[in-house]
Amino acid sequence: MQPRRDGAPETRKTMLADFDLVIPANLTQALQILSEDATRNGHDAMPLAGGTNLLVDIRARRAAPKRLIALGKLDELRGTTIDNGRVIVGGRTTLTDVLRAPRMAEHAPSLVQSARVFGGQMVRNSATVAGNLCYGSPAADTVPPLLSLNAELTLASQAGRRVVPLNDFFLGYKQNVRRHDELVTEITWPLPPSNSANLFYKLARRKGDAITVVGLAVTLVVESGKCSCVRIALGAVAPVIKRALAAEAMLIDQALTPTLIDAAAGQAVEACEPIDDARASAEYRCHGVYVLTRRLLTQAWERLS
Amino acid sequence: MSEPAEYFRPLRPTELRQVGRPLARTDAPGKATGSTRYGGDYTMPGMLHAKVLRSPLASARLRRIDVSKARALPGVACTFTGADLSDRLAPTDIPGQTGAKRLDTGQSILVKERVRYYGEPLALVAAETPAIAQKALDLIEYDLDALPGVYDPLEALKPESPIVQGSNNIVAQLKIRKGDLDQGFAEADRVIENSYRTQFVEHAFLEPEVGLAWVDENDVINIRVSTQVIEHFRSIADAVGVPHNKVRIMGAMVGGGFGGKEDLTVEIYLALLTRATRRPVQLVYTREESFLGHGKRHPFVMTYRTGVTKDGAITALKVTITADAGAYVFLSPYVILYALVAAPGPYRIDNLHVDATAVATNNMYTSAFRGFGAAQACVAYEAQMDEVAKALDLERMAFRRRNFLRTGDKLATDVPIESAVWTDECMTKAWEALGERTPDSVPVKVGRGVACYQQSYGRIMWLHDTSEAWVGIEVDGTVTVRSGVTDIGAGQISALGQIAAELLGVSLSDVAIYHSDSSTTPLAGTTTATRALYMTGNAVRLAASAVRERLVARSAKALRATPSQVDLANSRAFVIDDPDRWIGFKQLVALCASEGIHRSELALFRAPFTDKIDPETGRGRVHPDYTYGAHAVEVAVDTETGEVTVLKSIGAHDVGRAINPAAVAGQIEGGAAQGQGYALSEEMCYQEGRLITLSLSEYLIPTAMDVPQIESIILESRSGLGPFGAKGIGEPALIPVAPAIANAVADAIGVRVYDLPITPERIVMALRQPDSME
Repeated sequence: MQPRRDGAPETRKTMLADFDLVIPANLTQALQILSEDATRNGHDAMPLAGGTNLLVDIRARRAAPKRLIALGKLDELRGTTIDNGRVIVGGRTTLTDVLRAPRMAEHAPSLVQSARVFGGQMVRNSATVAGNLCYGSPAADTVPPLLSLNAELTLASQAGRRVVPLNDFFLGYKQNVRRHDELVTEITWPLPPSNSANLFYKLARRKGDAITVVGLAVTLVVESGKCSCVRIALGAVAPVIKRALAAEAMLIDQALTPTLIDAAAGQAVEACEPIDDARASAEYRCHGVYVLTRRLLTQAWERLS
Repeated sequence: MSEPAEYFRPLRPTELRQVGRPLARTDAPGKATGSTRYGGDYTMPGMLHAKVLRSPLASARLRRIDVSKARALPGVACTFTGADLSDRLAPTDIPGQTGAKRLDTGQSILVKERVRYYGEPLALVAAETPAIAQKALDLIEYDLDALPGVYDPLEALKPESPIVQGSNNIVAQLKIRKGDLDQGFAEADRVIENSYRTQFVEHAFLEPEVGLAWVDENDVINIRVSTQVIEHFRSIADAVGVPHNKVRIMGAMVGGGFGGKEDLTVEIYLALLTRATRRPVQLVYTREESFLGHGKRHPFVMTYRTGVTKDGAITALKVTITADAGAYVFLSPYVILYALVAAPGPYRIDNLHVDATAVATNNMYTSAFRGFGAAQACVAYEAQMDEVAKALDLERMAFRRRNFLRTGDKLATDVPIESAVWTDECMTKAWEALGERTPDSVPVKVGRGVACYQQSYGRIMWLHDTSEAWVGIEVDGTVTVRSGVTDIGAGQISALGQIAAELLGVSLSDVAIYHSDSSTTPLAGTTTATRALYMTGNAVRLAASAVRERLVARSAKALRATPSQVDLANSRAFVIDDPDRWIGFKQLVALCASEGIHRSELALFRAPFTDKIDPETGRGRVHPDYTYGAHAVEVAVDTETGEVTVLKSIGAHDVGRAINPAAVAGQIEGGAAQGQGYALSEEMCYQEGRLITLSLSEYLIPTAMDVPQIESIILESRSGLGPFGAKGIGEPALIPVAPAIANAVADAIGVRVYDLPITPERIVMALRQPDSME
């Protein structure tokens, strides 16, 4: 009998799927490979960042890409900077990178709050913010914060670059405007002004390593005692994560009162199209949106007034 | 052979030196450094990889199955379907059961015709690589005709429901009839009735099922497997049709069992495949296969009707328990027996009716799980104690104290309790340890709860349980213990070392322990039923005591003293009153060796045997003894979202004697975490029998973020039947946790959630009821 650690061949831990692994050395190479792939029929290559969704899907046979383009060497896309009044997060930046970035708690309080409760530590070390956006899960934890921060994505391909507001990025359940030959190189948003509050709450069945039941982010800016800007983003309550625009409209140019907040929270529920699943019923998800909208708006207002 | 009276006799007048100390367990360094080899760490050259094809329907008829394409795939060595097998069945039960209606409790090893649950095995494949084995599974063609099924135990009892197997859906039915129930209710000032439901629960051990089998040069089928029960070699031999001495089970350190590795898992599949191919075969379950591959904790529906006087004396109790047994019998008759005995809790109830029924459905079969039916009962009886106290406006703990069983009292089955009953002491200490109450902060409400229990240790007495162990001394003075016991992570093996070291006066590091081999280590019995320390610990105690006696006699001669004047400690024999007169252990052993004095002993420990309980009244002894204790918690409930945070979690248990207090604390901490999951988040969800919580992202065990610092309070009445007065703590540590949390949540929000798990959603729904938040 040969215990495995004594050198017996490692044959057991296969992914049970065949794919080619391509490891480009830099962004140029990566975009070239994706471009070549896109010009052939099939679009069978898939960019692989942290792999915390994709590898799980391959193992579960929900995805069967023929080629994986691993982005692990694209260090040029990793990191956070401030430039010209905007926060810039590189496309290869992990959740742990976000948590370790200096002053991120001021530049994106809601994103930091969501990163803290994003998966478990090992997932945070591997998963990227851009990957979380591109995978397009309705329960993605970084999306409500970034929507509430009015973030934009830079999509790069060999043909050039384009900037897409996150608000316009998603087309439907796990569908977005990224073309097969494009990579997300940057996620940016304006530095929040001092008279703003930006909050996130993850409602889940447990505190660690949980998939979100309702994720809710709020940005509120108050000028002269009135709400001058508000963004409410609703996660895990519709095929795509979206803003509660009608609820926001009720609050603009208003001094927030409990009655008004309550009405806006009720309006936010109207924007939900949740499903029943093993984690929660649609009814509870709507209740969560109501409670959390009310709670975060109240906290934000109290903090600013 | 030991008599019961001997348990209580002190072994010698001096202090214990090894037992009772929080020593680093012998298995700790290997686990901390990663050098421990678990079942899946063993491979062999030329090994094949097995896979199991499972039914995608819960109730169906298998019309056709064709493996020809799979067999033709290069790299496939062997396939099996039901048609390739004889009529021999896989056992799902053990002989000598009580209350089971059905004699035929076996299950086809692979489906021949009728599929009764989702995931029931249809075919086996062995191939050169796991990937080829997986491809081969995909190439197996089969036709299943869906049949009507039944998925709720109460539905299954209705005459119009489909019959899962046999003549009706009742798997087993048991009862207790004690006193005069009508009279008891007549004496009551109030009668309070509630129903409580518990859910399917998954063991979620770290290590999914795994095994490696090969046929050796003596034609013996060897199976290295992660199991709680190496004694399964007999049923494996019967199932594949070879003599019992031609199957050998070798365990490895087990990455968690909790009852989930008590039934057979991969063994028969491996035996069939290795016998057919004459090659080593490994079968490793993924987490998903593990979820489908072993039985769950029984969901219970429990109705409690309690009669009570104004001042809090319980005058009558009527309990009805219905358990979902799933598609096959497995250990359901025993599980409801445990529930039956546990139903009244640790309380004196003179007028008592209990009816417990296990019902077949087309859900996943249910079987052993830490607590074994008694855990579910505690969820109900401790919730009911709080509800009755609330209805009568009595303080919860005072109401319990008014009704507690006390030392010397009789059990519900009308037989005396053998040991001390320290429930009150445990409850008091656990509650005190909660300390200062955390204040509410809108919208968060803080609540506290306590739950007490009575949980057996040791097997059902008419199973005539025995355990063997061998203890010997090498000529260099080191000690060897041989025991078939499997270590499922609780320190079973290390405890045996501590007991041998104590009795032979050496240190734990001088003891080597060989374990878990059905052919070469004396059979210890199963690591189940909180019996390993009680049974195997006593066997080691008997064996070590016999060797000790000879060493003491020889050293007394050498020291010119009488044996009663001599003690063994610190690797020497010495005169107790004159410690300067001593002889080194090594020298003593060499002396014994040269004189042919027997330096080893094979001992058999026999639990007390009884006959079955009276089927009409339930009267009689079911278990050798019981552990008593309590768990207290403080929780914070967000009354808007329904989220629960466990703030404090304190277990206080009378373990009789803590052989290793650190290991006992480990059990209490593990029980607190597992019980928290049972209370708040864990549920295996089936829709029409189909599992929908397929992985650990849907089946939610508590994480380190969810579990607070756990405090373990160890009480030692020294009254247990185990070695040195020990009781068992493996199962007991879990039992009171979920009801304590349920009671704390009810205390916080003023309204009870009657069904586990108490999800945020259920709390929100409960708070919407008009009478809530009074």
